Amino acid sequence: MNLIAQTVADGLVLGGIYALAAVGFSLIFGVLHVINLSHGIIVLMGAYLALIFSETLRIDPLLTMPLVMVILFGVGYLYQRFLIQYAVDSSAFGSILLTFGVALMLHNIMIWVFSPDMKNITPTYAFTSMRLGPIVLDAVRVSCLVASLILLSCLAALLKFSPLGRVIRATAQQTLAARLCGVNVRHVYALTFAVSAAFAGAAGIVIGIILPFSPADEATWTLNAFVVVVLGGVGSPAGALIGGLLLGVVSTLTAQYIGPSFPNVTMFLLLVLLLLVRPQGLLGNAFAPSR
Amino acid sequence: MSQRPALFVTIVLAAAVVVAALPLVLPPFYVRVGQLMIYSAGLAVAWTILGGFAGYASFGHAAFIGVGAFAAGLVEDRLSGLPVTLMLPVGLLVGGLACAILSAAVAYPILRLRGTFFAIAMLGVCHVCAELNNNLDVLQGSLGLNFPSIAPAGWDPATFFYELYLVAGVIVFLIAWQIQRSRFGAGLLSIREDEDTARMLGVPTERYKRQAFVISAVLTGLLGVIYAHSLGYITTDSVYRDDTNLNLIVYSLLGGLGTLFGPVIGAFMLVFITQVVLARLLDFHLFATGLLLVVLVLAAPGGVLGFVKSWRQRRRAAATVPAE
Repeated sequence: MNLIAQTVADGLVLGGIYALAAVGFSLIFGVLHVINLSHGIIVLMGAYLALIFSETLRIDPLLTMPLVMVILFGVGYLYQRFLIQYAVDSSAFGSILLTFGVALMLHNIMIWVFSPDMKNITPTYAFTSMRLGPIVLDAVRVSCLVASLILLSCLAALLKFSPLGRVIRATAQQTLAARLCGVNVRHVYALTFAVSAAFAGAAGIVIGIILPFSPADEATWTLNAFVVVVLGGVGSPAGALIGGLLLGVVSTLTAQYIGPSFPNVTMFLLLVLLLLVRPQGLLGNAFAPSR
Repeated sequence: MSQRPALFVTIVLAAAVVVAALPLVLPPFYVRVGQLMIYSAGLAVAWTILGGFAGYASFGHAAFIGVGAFAAGLVEDRLSGLPVTLMLPVGLLVGGLACAILSAAVAYPILRLRGTFFAIAMLGVCHVCAELNNNLDVLQGSLGLNFPSIAPAGWDPATFFYELYLVAGVIVFLIAWQIQRSRFGAGLLSIREDEDTARMLGVPTERYKRQAFVISAVLTGLLGVIYAHSLGYITTDSVYRDDTNLNLIVYSLLGGLGTLFGPVIGAFMLVFITQVVLARLLDFHLFATGLLLVVLVLAAPGGVLGFVKSWRQRRRAAATVPAE
C-alpha cells in the first residue's frame, strides 16, 4: 500500500514537471497549428542558461527563472517572426522540417559549447527531504512541483484574463475573424511563440534541478511534450496538466510494477488508444482540429 | 511516360543495367555509398506509396524494417540446417509475411487518424515494437541476431549487396509506378487531395488506404530483410532507428512530395551529402544537416522537383509575355 502511494506521489511530482515542459508546445500547437520540434531544445536552453547564471551569480537556480524567461521570450519572438513565419506561409510540412532543422543545429552548437556530457544543477537544499505520513518527498522535487503549478496557473490566468490572452484565444479560434477585427496576427503568433519559449525555459530550469541533462535529451522532451498534449488536449494549460500528470503516474507505475524498460510501451499504447477513442484529447478544445 | 509504359520500363531497366555495372569501375568506398543510396531510395519509394500518393505520412516505417529483419533472422536461426542459397528467399518470405500481418492488424485503428496524428501514432507503433523486441527474451532484440553470410563465394559481399539492393529497388520502383498509373493510384491521389469528398464520390477510401499501407509495409520489410543480411549482425537499435523514420520523410520532401522520382532524387542527394561531402566533418554533421533542412524549407518548399517545375513555369511565362 505504501509502495503504491509512494509510486503515485512520485508520478504526480514527475507529471507536474512534464506538464510544465509541455504547456508551451501545446500553446503553439493550438494557436499556430505548428508542431514545434525544436521545443525540447528550448527546454534545454533554459536548463543551460540557469546553470550558467546560478554559477556566475551564485544564486539559487530557481531565482534565475525571471532572467531566463525574459531572454527566451525574446529569442522565441525573433525565432517565430524571422524564421518560422516563412515556413508556415510556404507549406504544411515546412514548419515541422524547419523546426527539426533548427533543433539539429542547436543540438550541435550545444555539444560544441557545453560538451556532450551530462550536467546537473545542484541547489543547496539538494539532499533534504520531508515526510508526509508514510510518503517521503525530496525538498527539491517539491519545490519544483510548486514552481510548476504556480507557473501553470500564471499562464492559465494570462490566457484567461489579460488582453493578450484574449487576443491569443481569438486568433486560435478564428484566425480570419481575428484579423478582420484588427488583430495583427503575425505579431500575436510571435508573442505566442515567445510566451511558449519562456515557459519552456522555465521548465528547463526545473528539469535541470531534478534530473541530469545533456544535449541529446532534446528529442525525449519534444516527444514527451507531444504525448502530454495529445493525452490532455491541445491548447489549454489544464489539458497539459492532466496529460502530464497522467503520463507521470503511468510511467512510474509501469516502471515499478511491470519493468523499468516498459514505460514507453504503455505510454504509446495509451496514446494510440486515446487517439482512437477520444482524438481531441481528454480536455480538447472544439476549435482545434485534431484529426 | 504514362502513355508509353513499354518505353518507360525499358528506360528504367536500361538505367538499372548501367548502374549495375558501376561497381566495376568505382572504388570500394563508393560501392558502399552506392549501396546505401539505393537502399534509401528503395525505402523512400516504398514509403511514398502511402505517404506520398495517399498523403498519409508515416513517421514510424522503421517498425517494418525491424519486424521484417527480426522475423527473418529468428526463422533463419531455427532453420540453420538449410543450404545457404535458400536462406534469403526464406527470410524474405517470412519477413514480408510478418510485416503484412502486423500492418494489416495495425491498419484498421491507425488509419482512422489523419495528418500529424497518424504520423505520431506510427512513431508510437515503431517504439512499441522496438521495446517489445528489445525486452522479450524470445525475440533476442538486446542480445542480437547473427545472419548467415549469403554472398556467393568469389563475389565481394559489398558488390553482391549493391546488386541485390538494385534489383529490389527497381522492383519496388516499378511496383510504385504501376500503382501510380492504375485506378488504385488515382484513388490514393483523391484521398490525398480530399478524403471526405473522395469517399462521398464512391472511392473505397478505407480499402485503398489499407491496401496501400500493407503494400508499403511489406516492401519496407523486404528491404529490411536484405539490410539485416548486409549488416550480418543486428540488435534492436540497429534496425528500429528514429533517424530512418525521419529520413524517409526528408527524402520525399527534398525531392518532391507525392512524386515518383522525388524520393529517389532526395535519397540520392541526402545520402551523398551526408556520407561523402560531410564525411570528414563529423563534429559539424548535425549542424550541416539542420542547416540544409532550414534552407530547403525556406528556398524550395516543393523539393527539387517542385523547384524545377516552378522555374520552368516562370521561364515559360517570361517567354510568352513579349509575344502578346
